[in-house]
Amino acid sequence: MATQSPPSPSSTAGNPPTLAAETSQQATGVQQDGPPEAAEQPISSPSVFVNSEPMREEQVQNAVKFLSHPKVRGSPVIYRRSFLEKKGLTKEEIDEAFRRVPDPPPSAQATSANQDGQVKSSSSNIQSQAPTQALQPQPAGAAPTAVSPASTMMMSRFHWYHAVLAVGLLAASGAGTAVFIKKSLIPRLKSWIRKVVLEEEDDSENKSIAKPSLAEEAAAAAKAAAAAASDVAKASQELLNSKNEERRYFSELMNLLDVQLQEMKSMSNSIRKLEGPSNNSGRTSLVNQEDHRDSVTGVKQPYANGKADFDMQSVRSSSPPAPGEPSVAPHPKSYMEIMAMVQRGEKPPNIRDINDLPPNPNQQLPNPRLAPKAKPWEVGQAQIASGQVIQSQRKNVKITEVGEDEIKAGPYGVRTNEPPVQRTWVPPQPPPVVMPEAAEAIRRPKPSGPTEQSTSHQLASQASEVADELQRITKISEVGGIEEIKGNGSVQNSSEIQEEQETHA
Amino acid sequence: MPVFKTPFNGYSVKFSPFYESRLAVATAQNFGILGNGRVHVLDLSPAAPALTELVAFDTADGVYDLAWSESHDSLLIAAVADGSVKIYDTALPPTANPIRSLHEHTREVHSADYNPTRRDSFITSSWDDTVKLWTVDRPTSVRTFKEHAYCVYNATWNPRHSDVFCSASGDCTLRIWDVREMGSTMIIPAHEFEILACDWNKYDDCLIASASVDKSIKIWDVRNYRVPIAVLNGHGYAVRKVKFSPHKRNLLASCSYDMTVCLWDFMVEDALVGRYDHHTEFAVGVDMSVLVEGLLASTGWDELVYVWQQGMDPRAV
Repeated sequence: MATQSPPSPSSTAGNPPTLAAETSQQATGVQQDGPPEAAEQPISSPSVFVNSEPMREEQVQNAVKFLSHPKVRGSPVIYRRSFLEKKGLTKEEIDEAFRRVPDPPPSAQATSANQDGQVKSSSSNIQSQAPTQALQPQPAGAAPTAVSPASTMMMSRFHWYHAVLAVGLLAASGAGTAVFIKKSLIPRLKSWIRKVVLEEEDDSENKSIAKPSLAEEAAAAAKAAAAAASDVAKASQELLNSKNEERRYFSELMNLLDVQLQEMKSMSNSIRKLEGPSNNSGRTSLVNQEDHRDSVTGVKQPYANGKADFDMQSVRSSSPPAPGEPSVAPHPKSYMEIMAMVQRGEKPPNIRDINDLPPNPNQQLPNPRLAPKAKPWEVGQAQIASGQVIQSQRKNVKITEVGEDEIKAGPYGVRTNEPPVQRTWVPPQPPPVVMPEAAEAIRRPKPSGPTEQSTSHQLASQASEVADELQRITKISEVGGIEEIKGNGSVQNSSEIQEEQETHA
Repeated sequence: MPVFKTPFNGYSVKFSPFYESRLAVATAQNFGILGNGRVHVLDLSPAAPALTELVAFDTADGVYDLAWSESHDSLLIAAVADGSVKIYDTALPPTANPIRSLHEHTREVHSADYNPTRRDSFITSSWDDTVKLWTVDRPTSVRTFKEHAYCVYNATWNPRHSDVFCSASGDCTLRIWDVREMGSTMIIPAHEFEILACDWNKYDDCLIASASVDKSIKIWDVRNYRVPIAVLNGHGYAVRKVKFSPHKRNLLASCSYDMTVCLWDFMVEDALVGRYDHHTEFAVGVDMSVLVEGLLASTGWDELVYVWQQGMDPRAV
């Protein structure tokens, strides 16, 4: 039926071990009910109430990214799950994401260790690539370094935590290279050029002008060197630009994550706020939550000053605030007073000490006096489905009425009384009306005294009289004779009186 | 139309599935912040249109929700703010009640719902992030469902599939559960804000309505849960409760902190088909009768319980 992966630790954490045994009992007990019910449903055989979509890989990867963030790692598992559920991920997708992220739970570590090793080796490749190439400030070397940032970008989609390191190293090395080039190489080149030029001048002063080619050559060489230096400068500039771009992407990513974390933080803050005050003063979940939402969304509405009519009208005449943005409903003045009192630690004066524990914990459950009635939405179905099965239903009716207690008292999940033909279990029809005046009597219970409140005694007598009539009707249908009514009636009356006396003893 | 004044602030109202004229109201003192609670069982006497109290039970802490048993006509489940679940026998006097007090939740129990098909079990949802499954004859819970990351405000049974229920939580998700499975079978991130209530459509068992702090009600089809079928806007503040009609496929009722009870037809473009602004404080509880078509009840922090027929003015005398 439902394809349930092994339950996450959080769902089973709260259940004592006996419940597992009970659910297995239930499963075996309900097996008879499960398959026939599923097969006879008009909907496809796996239950409709189970999500049967396949896992969406994209969602799982986003979840993995979210869960890998160090800030998220520090938060409790339940909040992480709750966040992902609110984003619309199914249970399977969330479980898969938890499996993929190296997580404290031991079941996840074995599978994640392999992935971890793979990730680390790939990132170390990146790291070894970057420094070696970056420290070669040649025009030829600039191209591979331009490529390696691109490759790190590719890898970063899967394991950006390691890519952070790689990017950082690249940036540092690029910056270092640029600085190195700017500060040392270029001045060196320039000084070398100056030397050459000076030498040339000296030479030209000392030597004859018959060596112009040397100077020309030197100038040409200097020019070439300058050109090379400028190329190198350009290359390093490009490197720096790509680093900046990367930094920008990275910061965007960080911002998105920060936004998500903000949401989580606000949730946890509000929860902490609610759980902070003690139980006595803490019964403010709904109201406070609305307050908190209010401050988050920025829509401020002052609390109403009282129950005065003008206030009500102002509430009603104003157009309803935009749907989707909750706003705090103005609370009555006395509510605010009581809240203030409770928060100060005072107890409101009108509270009594009441002992509401059961006076007799072993009080017997009452016998049901009335047969359960079919619901209006079931009646239609029953009529359609069970045109031919009235006979068996009548038998069922008697069985349920007499033996109802036994069935109900049985272990949960055991149902012995099902009309076989119907698609879903339908409660049995009320017994057929044999005596119209009895039906009348049932519809209209005997009127009680109008001024005094009916006590439960009267209630009991009314109810038992009604049940009495019902029993008489069934007796009639069973026995088929009317002569016996009077005899039975008197017997039953006396037994009824005895019952009442017993209950009130 | 009959009105009943409760001494405490109303939190929930539920019609009995056995008696057409009977309903129960859950109330809490001091708006449910801190104080006692009381459960009222009221009778709608047909002669004079008035609501009379049949019996009332006092509790040490506020009562946030009620559920009538579907198997025993006199049993009532109460969800209490001190974390306990109490079972009352309305046929016995208050001195003999409650007949059970089940204390397992570690925080306020916010809702209770009885299984309408199996009729032998009920679920309670709590601010301790869990939903628990119980049967009336057992002293301890049968199962605990712990997956939500925040308070579970509401949990309701599917009207046709006896093992499926839905839960609405402050972690902004709806979860669909099957009691035969270990964990939830579907997670719907229904709103951007807390979801305060959920209910199943009685005639199409794949439709769920969710009501949220963001003032909207969304209708979801579990077969295609990424996008809602309909978004119902019109409430001015958070929607506190939502209930599908037991008689009409497309009709649902909702109550909100904007003090109104609204009726919607989600298949129609202009979905709002009725609005009742009889309450003078937050409208917190609403119910539609299963036995009488068109009968509505609502309660709110103004300490009033109204019962009226759809289409009529609840305040009419």
